[in-house]
Amino acid sequence: MNSGTSGFLLAAILLAPLSAPALAQSAQATSTTQSSYSGATADFAGAGQAGEWTSQARDYANTRYSPLDQITPTNVGRLKLAWTFSDGTQYGHEGAPLVVGDTMYLVTPFPNTAYALDLSKPSPSIKWKFEADPSPQSIGKACCDAVIRGWAYADGKLIYNMLDDHTVAVDANTGKQVWRTEMDKVSHGVTMTQSAFVADGKVFVGNSGGEMGVNGWLAALDLGTGKELWRAHAVGPDSDVRIDATFKPFYDWMKGKDLGVKTWPPNAWNTGAGASWGFVSYDEKTKTIFYGTSNPGPRVPVQRPGDNLWTSSMFARDPDTGMAKWGYQFTPHDQWDYDGVNEAVLLDMPIEGKMRQTLVHFDRNTYAYTIDRNTGEVLVAGNFAYQNWSTGFDMKTGRPIVDPAREPKPGVKIDKVCPPDIGQKDWEPPAFSPATGLLYVGVFNICMSLTDHEVSYIAGTPYDGMEMQRFSVDGSDGNWGGLLAWDPAHGKKIWEIPEKFMVMSGVITTASNLVFYGTTDGWFRAVDAWTGKVLWSQKLGSGIIGQPITYMGPDQRQYVAVAAGVGGAAMVQQARDGFLPRGNTLYVFSINGDTITAPNEDTPSAVSPSEASSSPSQQ
Amino acid sequence: MSIIRVAVGAVILVILAVGVTAWWVTTRAQTDARVAVAWPEGVAAAVPQGLSAGEAPPITVSIDNPLANDPNAAEEGKKLFSQMNCAGCHGYDAKGGMGPDLTDIEWRYGGRPIDIFKSIYEGRAQGMPAWGNALPTAPIWQLVAYIQSLGGTFAPSAEGQPQQAVNQGLGAQAGQKQ
Amino acid sequence: MKRLIAIGLTISLAGCSAPLSYLDATSPVGGSIASLGWGLTAISVGVCLIVGVLLLVAIWRGSPRGAATVVPVNDRAPIRWIGVGVAISTVFLLGSAIWTLVTVHSIAGSPRPAALSIDVIGQEWWWAVKYRSDDPSREFTTANQLVIPVDVPVQINLTSRDVIHSFWVPKLGGKMDMIPSRTNVTWLEADKIGDYRGQCSEFCGLQHANMAFNVRVMSQADFDAWRNQQLQPAASVAGDPRLRTFMVRCAACHTVRGTPAGGILGPDLSHFGSRETLAAGLLPNTPENLARWINNTQTIKPGAKMPELHMLASETADVTGYLEDLK
Repeated sequence: MNSGTSGFLLAAILLAPLSAPALAQSAQATSTTQSSYSGATADFAGAGQAGEWTSQARDYANTRYSPLDQITPTNVGRLKLAWTFSDGTQYGHEGAPLVVGDTMYLVTPFPNTAYALDLSKPSPSIKWKFEADPSPQSIGKACCDAVIRGWAYADGKLIYNMLDDHTVAVDANTGKQVWRTEMDKVSHGVTMTQSAFVADGKVFVGNSGGEMGVNGWLAALDLGTGKELWRAHAVGPDSDVRIDATFKPFYDWMKGKDLGVKTWPPNAWNTGAGASWGFVSYDEKTKTIFYGTSNPGPRVPVQRPGDNLWTSSMFARDPDTGMAKWGYQFTPHDQWDYDGVNEAVLLDMPIEGKMRQTLVHFDRNTYAYTIDRNTGEVLVAGNFAYQNWSTGFDMKTGRPIVDPAREPKPGVKIDKVCPPDIGQKDWEPPAFSPATGLLYVGVFNICMSLTDHEVSYIAGTPYDGMEMQRFSVDGSDGNWGGLLAWDPAHGKKIWEIPEKFMVMSGVITTASNLVFYGTTDGWFRAVDAWTGKVLWSQKLGSGIIGQPITYMGPDQRQYVAVAAGVGGAAMVQQARDGFLPRGNTLYVFSINGDTITAPNEDTPSAVSPSEASSSPSQQ
Repeated sequence: MSIIRVAVGAVILVILAVGVTAWWVTTRAQTDARVAVAWPEGVAAAVPQGLSAGEAPPITVSIDNPLANDPNAAEEGKKLFSQMNCAGCHGYDAKGGMGPDLTDIEWRYGGRPIDIFKSIYEGRAQGMPAWGNALPTAPIWQLVAYIQSLGGTFAPSAEGQPQQAVNQGLGAQAGQKQ
Repeated sequence: MKRLIAIGLTISLAGCSAPLSYLDATSPVGGSIASLGWGLTAISVGVCLIVGVLLLVAIWRGSPRGAATVVPVNDRAPIRWIGVGVAISTVFLLGSAIWTLVTVHSIAGSPRPAALSIDVIGQEWWWAVKYRSDDPSREFTTANQLVIPVDVPVQINLTSRDVIHSFWVPKLGGKMDMIPSRTNVTWLEADKIGDYRGQCSEFCGLQHANMAFNVRVMSQADFDAWRNQQLQPAASVAGDPRLRTFMVRCAACHTVRGTPAGGILGPDLSHFGSRETLAAGLLPNTPENLARWINNTQTIKPGAKMPELHMLASETADVTGYLEDLK
């Protein structure tokens, strides 16, 4: 061995340890630079400051992604309760609280009282309270609990829908009403549970009542005055549905005049429903809003032969005029109450090598659609959970293929239809992580036995007719739900966390690769966005059907908040062991439960009786 | 010719004659009667004047269900429960949904037959429709009979104890849970 | 004998003019059934006459006097009589059987494809009638009447909402049972324009006898016009106070297309003013009869599912006027 070689060897030996950290680093780098599954990206326009949560979905694209990273997979195990707020009501709590600056805004389920909480004081500290005073008649017309699914903040106003068909705007500083607009009539069976959505200077609101034979619509109100600018129905002639020559649906079977009349028996469209009670998304660049419509009415299909357009569909509309740009019907002639109202998450992603501007929609019919959001073309349609109503999806025509054995006939019981009327995913919204490129969504794992009964239309009573029992796909001991991670570019499930009870909460993701969600038996969990490993769980006082948020408090701490108050469609589980009673509490968590405490001068100290009687506070 | 043969021949003829006559008579009568029922021109209207002239008579309803002894009433009530969309709010098994459970002993507005009748007839504040104009009293009592058959209603007596409790000799005041 | 024939002819001719007489058929189905009926009657009468005559002759002649009646073993005459009788009976019975089977087969389905499909759903004690179409916007429901074009086979799909009923239009077709949870298919074809009466022909309860309907046969052009008229929504004036009364008192059970009245418990009353009869063929459709029906339901048709309404005079006037204006 010559000196050159031995020198080289010596250098190698000396330098070897230096490479160890480099090797270790690259091992870590694998997990932090792991590539996105789908390559999907989102435009986060419409979000407020990084520490705020200014709308239900956080941004116009409905990503529900927070850039905060103070809470990480390493310290999330130390998450503890910081404070709670009970709002004294008894119905399901579905909405996400909003945080704008130092104030948190929330609205209760019926009677739709609005609260502003001052986060700079020991919480909860009520800044103001607004009592909306809706009519109790609306309680008996709400199919699925007297809930409110969210509220909006814009232009210094808190704007929300009341159960009795009014939209109200409240001054965010003073708590005084700015305007109130009556949108429809409870006597027609119409209620409003939808979360008002603000974009482009307008408030978009829609009605509920798919089970009440209503005439479904979405309307735009002026943000400043509440005056109605336009209203687009889901059924009826093109003039009602706001369709004109600019309407360009992608598939042939949705092209034609007055299809909202022609695909129904005569006059049946008047009670055809198509209510818009879900979330609205907005593409700022193309100036388009996206939203879905409910099931057709009645829920018994033999009474309404035809495709029943435009129910169980999604519309892309111009926010200024309300005219439809394109439409797509997920479940033509729906026979099982598969509403099309679930949200559209706006993502850009490569599909088969080409970059596409898409929306991702998890439908009640258990297909996860990736649709070109400029044309309405279905690019991917995959089952995200178990279903047996359809034997496949025809990509050429864009229609699902129905299994004739699952088509109900009045009086005849079908033992197992999966999913049931509430789908394997109801309205609970998913969240997107730009790092993993995945969507995280709470799902169910259930089926129904179904017997249809023909029904009369009697205004103000249900126009329904479905008699059902629901049960797990996996038998009497089976799970009823889970959280799954979905790759929307490939239509594939990456992992799923099985849960004993339905997962009907919203989901949020953070920049530190955490995913938060809650189960309907009260478990609030944080999981790793890449692996699905449960990093932290806390049992709350009631089942969770609300949408969590995360925000930065005035004390520069990151908080995570969610309401626990079970209700809504989760009540189908009320006979199960382990199901919790109703609740009405907002739970707010922080690391170690640290939060703003009362300054010493505000804490009372004990005084003797003589001192107490002379103190002015005694009067 | 013997007498027996004559007798047999006569009997056969008599039977034939009777048969023909009977057939003739019956078909004549049927045709006339059918015409009278189907096209009753000239038949005086049989509307008692009292009901159609002046105001509607005030409805007097008893405390107990007047159909209490009608075994059919609960069956008809069950059909109405589905046909009038009661099942849509209260469930096909009447165990509740949008509207309250009708099989338990909790009654917001009273659980005696007359209380349930009034709730159906007048409607209630949290969205129960008022059926008094759409349904006459007989179908409403049939619905009450069906609800009574579900076991959660109270006895019609003044104290209004739950029917089950009365039957078992237990006591609980009206409107309170046991 | 002559008197017997005269009696028989009078009876049958009287039957011809009655609305439910199947002997005077005006359709291919009815025609073949009527022919079969006449034919079997003729054969039966013939056989009766022959047997009756032979019986009388046998009785009259009696057996030979005095002789002990010992029949020789090889006397073939009586056996021959029996043999001839059996042979004739066999021929006629076989012939009748074949004729019956051929008729039944020929009326089972229409030789030409049906141009129209109608669902008829029987319930106690009225008929729901749904006109079907490939185009859902051309389907509609009516009650207690069928309107069909002439010379066109019409497919009728039959079922029942409660007990077994039976659908029979004697002049136009055969009987077919309407069985709950099952759909039976029959067909009608009319040769002549006119009105024909149908009747429930399976005992179905208290008012089985008053469960009738009428079939109106029109030319194709008139039928198309009628169908388009039926598809129109009710021609109501906005804010019509009579409609308000109708909605309050009647809408829970009855439907009028084009108004919020959507009850399916009772007959669909859309375009009620254009109907011939009411209460399932029981009364002619006049304002007076309608008022009588509304106020005296249980007296006119005891047991009917429509309850006694105890309406005010003003309410009756409103509802009657409103319905009769629904042409």
